[in-house]
Order: sequence, then C-alpha cells, then structure tokens
Amino acid sequence: MASQRTTTAHPSAPHALSGSQRTIGRRQVLGASGAGAVALALAACTGGGQSAREASEAPVGDGTLQWWDQFRPLTGTFEDELFDPFMSENSEITIERQQLDAQDLGQALQIARRSSQLPDVHSLAGLDSSPAALLSNGWFQPIGEFADFESTEIADQLLDGIHRFDGELYSVPMFSGRWHENVPWYNTALMEAAGIDPAEEPATWDELRDITRRVMDGADTEGIFVPGQDPAYLNQLVTRLAQTAGAPGTIDWTSGEYIQDTQPFLDTFEFLKSLLDDGLLHSASPSMGPRDARARWAAGEAAIYPWGAWFIGGLMVDEPEAVERGISCWHLPGPENERNTIYSGPPGGVFWVSADAREPEAASQLLHRMSTREFQAALARAMDQPPAMLEVVEEADVHPAYAECISFFEDDVLIAPSPEAGQPGVWRVAAEMRDIRPHAGDLLQSMLAGEDVDVKGGLTHFRDAVSQERDRAIESVQKDAEIDLGAWVFENWDPTRDYEQSDYDAR
Amino acid sequence: MTHADPGLLRSATGAKSEAVSPDVTPRAAPGLLARLRRDWWIYLFLLPTIVGYGAYTVYPLVASWWYALLDWPGFAATGTFIGLDNFERLMADGLFWNSFGNSLIFLICAVPLRVGIALFLAILLNRRKTPFKGFLRTLFFLPVVTTGAIIGVVFTLLLDSSGPVSIALVTAGLLDSPANFVANTGTSLYAGIAVWVWKWLGITMIYWLAALQTIPDDVREAAMIDGAGPGREFRHITLPLLIPFLVIITLIDTVGALNVFDLMYTLTGGGPSFSSEVIEIFIYRTAFGATVPQLGYASAAAVLFGLLTMGLAVGQAVGVRWARRATGAMK
Repeated sequence: MASQRTTTAHPSAPHALSGSQRTIGRRQVLGASGAGAVALALAACTGGGQSAREASEAPVGDGTLQWWDQFRPLTGTFEDELFDPFMSENSEITIERQQLDAQDLGQALQIARRSSQLPDVHSLAGLDSSPAALLSNGWFQPIGEFADFESTEIADQLLDGIHRFDGELYSVPMFSGRWHENVPWYNTALMEAAGIDPAEEPATWDELRDITRRVMDGADTEGIFVPGQDPAYLNQLVTRLAQTAGAPGTIDWTSGEYIQDTQPFLDTFEFLKSLLDDGLLHSASPSMGPRDARARWAAGEAAIYPWGAWFIGGLMVDEPEAVERGISCWHLPGPENERNTIYSGPPGGVFWVSADAREPEAASQLLHRMSTREFQAALARAMDQPPAMLEVVEEADVHPAYAECISFFEDDVLIAPSPEAGQPGVWRVAAEMRDIRPHAGDLLQSMLAGEDVDVKGGLTHFRDAVSQERDRAIESVQKDAEIDLGAWVFENWDPTRDYEQSDYDAR
Repeated sequence: MTHADPGLLRSATGAKSEAVSPDVTPRAAPGLLARLRRDWWIYLFLLPTIVGYGAYTVYPLVASWWYALLDWPGFAATGTFIGLDNFERLMADGLFWNSFGNSLIFLICAVPLRVGIALFLAILLNRRKTPFKGFLRTLFFLPVVTTGAIIGVVFTLLLDSSGPVSIALVTAGLLDSPANFVANTGTSLYAGIAVWVWKWLGITMIYWLAALQTIPDDVREAAMIDGAGPGREFRHITLPLLIPFLVIITLIDTVGALNVFDLMYTLTGGGPSFSSEVIEIFIYRTAFGATVPQLGYASAAAVLFGLLTMGLAVGQAVGVRWARRATGAMK
C-alpha cells in the first residue's frame, strides 16, 4: 500500500503522506521553533504596546533605590553630601547611582520606561520635551506627601506647570534659573603672557575682538573656541548673543511671535562672521564638540571659551592643572557699552521620582535634602550649574572665578515668562511640535565651515517654518485642550524684572 | 511486492537515485516525535540560535515595520496608528533624501576603493619576493580591530586644519592654506569615506589573500612558461579565477558600507550642515536627538533603509549562486 500512497503524492513532495501518517519535516520543525521563539519574545517585550506595569501590581521595594543622572562633576557631592549621610541614617536603604552621558541617558530612560524599569529617581537629560508631557504619559509620581517642601527656602521658586501639576508637587528646582551657557572663560596665564591685565574686561563685541587679537599676537596662541560640531551649542550661542544685542529671546513676549530673523540675530551672525574672517576663532573649532573644546582649552591651545558655569567644575574633575594655571571670566559682551539683559526661563525640576519607583518615600526625602541650605552649599562647592539658592555661593568655598561668574549672572540675567507655567495645555503643543531644521545653529555651522550663507533668508525661512509648525500643533491639540496663540503672549511682562508666580496669576 | 514509480524515485532521491535498483522500496520518513527522540541533541544545539535570531533579528524587524505605521513620541508608552503618514512625510523630507543620497554616495565611492586597494595590496603581499609579509599583513589588519568610534575621534584631530594631514599638504604645496577636511561641507563625506576605507582595508585584503591562495601555482607557472608576463598572467589567469570571489567580497563590503554610524557620528556628527549625514545618523537624530523623539518616523526611515539593504542581501544571494556555478563550471 505504501507505493499507492507515494504515487498519489505530488512528485515534488515525495515524503508527504496523507491522513494520520502525515509527518513534519525538519524545516517545519525549525520554522515552528522559530515562530515559538518569536512569540515568546513578543510576549516578553512591551515596546510599542502598553507598559508592562499596567498589568502588574504596584512595585514593592527591596531597599534598593536606583538613581540615574548625567552630572559627572557632582559625583563626589552626591556620594559624600547626600547618599552616604542618607544611607547611614536609613540603614534599610541602599542607593545605587548610574551616571550616563546626557544623550545616552535620554535613550536609556525611553527604553526603561517601555519595559517598566525606570529608576526610582532620574534627571531628564536627553529628554528635551516638556516634563508635563512626560507626566501626562505616566512617568512620574508626586512627592509632596512624603516630605514638607513648602517650608524649604526654595518654596518661592515652585511654580504651577513647572513643578506642580493639578495641585500636586512632582519636582523641585536644584539649580537656579539665573544663568546662561556662554560665559567667556579665559586663560589668565595667556593673558599675562601677552601683557594684558586680566582685570581688563571687554564690554563690547569690538573690545572682545581687540583683546582676542592682542592675546593671539602677544602669547602666540589661538583666540576663541566656538565648537562647531554641535548645532545645539551654536543655536544657544546665537540666542544668547542676540539677547546681548537686545532680543528678549526667540519669542517676543508681547506678541507671542517668533523673532529669529530680527536685527539682533542678524547682528549676532555678522559679529560671529567677523570673528571668523579675522581669524580670531580657533582654526579647528568647526570640527570640535564642546567637550573637545574644553580639553583643548585646558591644553592651552586658545585663550577664550564661552561655556556654562559648569566649565570650571568640569575642569576641576578632569583637568585641575588648567584651573591652577589660571582661569577667570567676563560678562558676556554685547554690541554696545550699555549691557542688555539675558533672559532665562524659570528653573525647572531636575530630579523626578518615577512612577515605577519602588522606594518613593526615600526618593522624596532625598529630593527634600537637596532643597536644604547645607546641600545647596555643597552643590556650590562642586562649581557646576549655580545652585537654586544663589546666595550660598558667597559663603561657600569656591574658586574666585566661579564666584565671579555667579555674581555676573546676578547682574545680567532675569527670569523670563514660561508659556508652560502660564497655561496648562502648552505642553501638548510642545509635545506635538516637530523639530524644524535647519535652525540658527545649523546656519552658523555652515558659516563656520566656510560656506557662503544667506543668513537673513535662512533665519526667515526657519521663523516661518517654526511658526507654521506651532500653528499646526495648536490646531492639532485643540480638540483635547483649550489653547491658542495667546498662551505665548505675556502683556504684563516687564523686561526690567523677573517674571514671577504673581505675574502669571495677574495675566 | 509492489514497485515504486521510477520517475518519482528519481525526483525523491535526486540524481543519485538513477543508479539505484528499481526493486528498492522507499522507506517512509520517521515521524516528528521519532526524529526528536533520535536527534534531540541537534535541536537542542539549534535552540539558542533560533531564540537569539528570533529575539534580536526577527522581532526588531517586525516591530520596526509596525512602529513605522505609528505616530509615537519616544516618551509615550504607546503610539497612535496613522497608516502610511510617516512614509508620506518622508517622501517630502529633504533631509531624509539628503541622507539617503549621502549613503548612496558613500556606497558608490567607498566600496570600489576598498575592494580595489585591498586587491592591489593582497597581490603585493601574495608575491614570494615581498619582504616583511607577515608584518605588513598585521599592520594593515590593525585598524580592523580598532573601535570605529575611537578611530572617528582620532581622525577628527588628524584631519582638522591644525592636524598633520593639513600641515603636510600645505608644506608639500598641494594646499594654499590649512583645510579642515571633516568640517567642510565639500569634503566631510569624502573624509569619512577615506577613513572607512582605511579602517576596513585589512579585512578585505585577507579575503583577497585567501582567494589568491586558491589559484594553483601550476596554472600560473604554465602561463609563465608559455611566455606570459606578470601583466598578462594577471589579466588572463588570476583575474578570471578571482571573479567569483570579487562578487562575494563586493557584496560583503557593500553591506558594510551601509553600517557606518559609529565612525561617521564621531568623525563629523553628520555635519557640517548635514553634508555628511548618512541615513543611520538621520534615523538616530530623529529617534533620539529631536526635541520630541519620533520613533514612528524614525522607524519608517529605517524600514525604507531596510528595504534597500534587503535588496542588497538578495543581490548577494544571487551573486553567491552565480559564483558557485561559475566555480563549478571551471572545475
């Protein structure tokens, strides 16, 4: 009978049998095993589907508190001034900290969120979208019930829409909002070698050009670092310099319109082009990132580098000899002798307790400790971003150049309005808006690379595109939130003072 | 006893069946359970590969196709199904096509250079008279085992305007003034191509050396005895015998040229002004570098890119089959 069965089978499938004697081939076994493995993997993974947490019980702590951030220069401060004292007082808690680069941290957090493995406490580096957007997607849990933040000295800096949502407190400011990213740090040894009095401060762009030329000639060195490989750095530099030329920022708060193609921005590009044309920028600047530039500044390759207050703290960790050699800073010069104000948004929350936190109480208490004067003073000693209580810097044991930098911030920087603090729902627009490129930083990058750039055309194109994108995003979210362009208008904004909670209330 | 149909028997057992007596009755293949019981260890050893392949190749592939159909900001746990909208946006996104074009330029320039220079080196190092062959092979292979990201960082310094390359070219009178090759919109992509070719030259050279050693010495010697010089011997003997290997090596290098993220990201960051942004950097920037990460949009770009590499893989399979046939014909 076997032959009858085989003769009825298709010639190309000689082993295929019928009925109950049907067998499975190796390929089918392999295929089935593979499919099973994929099914297992799919069942195990949650990416693109709902968070695994949604189907599970609330987490139970085992005494280990996970902490992720990007603040490498603050490693000692966190360990010595925060974690060790806390663990000695709370022996049942062990804190495990992971420090990652900012961009890596953003990726790690996204992936951890999708697999319900967020740490108890984390910063938001690499996640530039609004914290409110993250909150609305279930990232955080409130901290107010575990510690009394309202009685701390930074309570007056807590804002609705920034730290507090629907009456619940979710984060606190660790750093001050009174800062900017482009403090001109200079090498005092090179200045002295060139016969320039380090106390001689360039107040204007012309004076900065002059002093740069003199230090280059006198000390046989290069001039200014403008690390051109990072468009985000360049974008920020353009905005800050435009503020010294009179711009309130990228938005005119009286009309809510974007203003990237106005005269202060054009003047800024003209100034930077003149530095390039005069050979005052470090010749390798276009291929450097900010950290490369810091290392090469420390090596004495050029005299001046505009970067944030954390510049000196980072040097203390990685290149302390550069600090010992001599470092100081100036105000950020502007086009005219009369210095214009630099506007920064209100200080945001730095650390957040995740919805997956297994030790939320301990996490909240740690954030509370960060709001104390003692920890703020320790933060000042690390010379990173200025602490939320700026006044502690005067009393803290810090390098004179850092103290000077903070005093310049107090002179120059005012707190600008924040649309997110002004109207709930702005975060929806921010989360809906797509990146528009090329922006001012990209244009500057092209210019530094030697391209002939149509600055006015490029900035106008960007301004139009970003305005259209905001209009589209507003229209897109209007079905879920009451919001319009008015959320970006602050008619009661006074350019001569900080914009505070009372101003939001009075709008 | 019944006899099997001879025609069926041929197709069932292949050409060798023709020599089998028609009196032999085919045995029914054992069932799955019987084979599992008999060969269980084979499947046991295969299991890790199957699971690994499923989890790390099949699942991400299938998932990225699904994500490409979602509007999914990276911070949200779920995305919203939007059909082919991401692909529509991609079609109108100049920066996507810019990066796509850069990847193609990279491919078209880098692969012939890598394959050609490696062949030249392999021929030199395959000659009996060449001194220090072992040392030179090691020297050319060293960059292969060096991390791409480290090479990117080092070459940023070597190729900037104060680096030794620029200084040497100015000193030699080939340049009027120092040039920053990695930060110039006209040269950044080509600087990346040059560094990539240099980095991977060693492995392609090893492929070629292995290929050259398959050519019997007596064939060459016969050509020499017949009066062929080195040039004719190469053109008429060595090269035709290397063509099947050329196909395979070219296809391997082509796939390699589409995986240059680490090198290009550290060397140029895709800049200046997107001039060296290859498709992988575009995907990374969209997925992780944007203010609001767009995982769905980045996945759609990856799917298009994946289709391109899939096409290359199919080409590779066809090439391998052709090479095998060609090799068989020569035997």
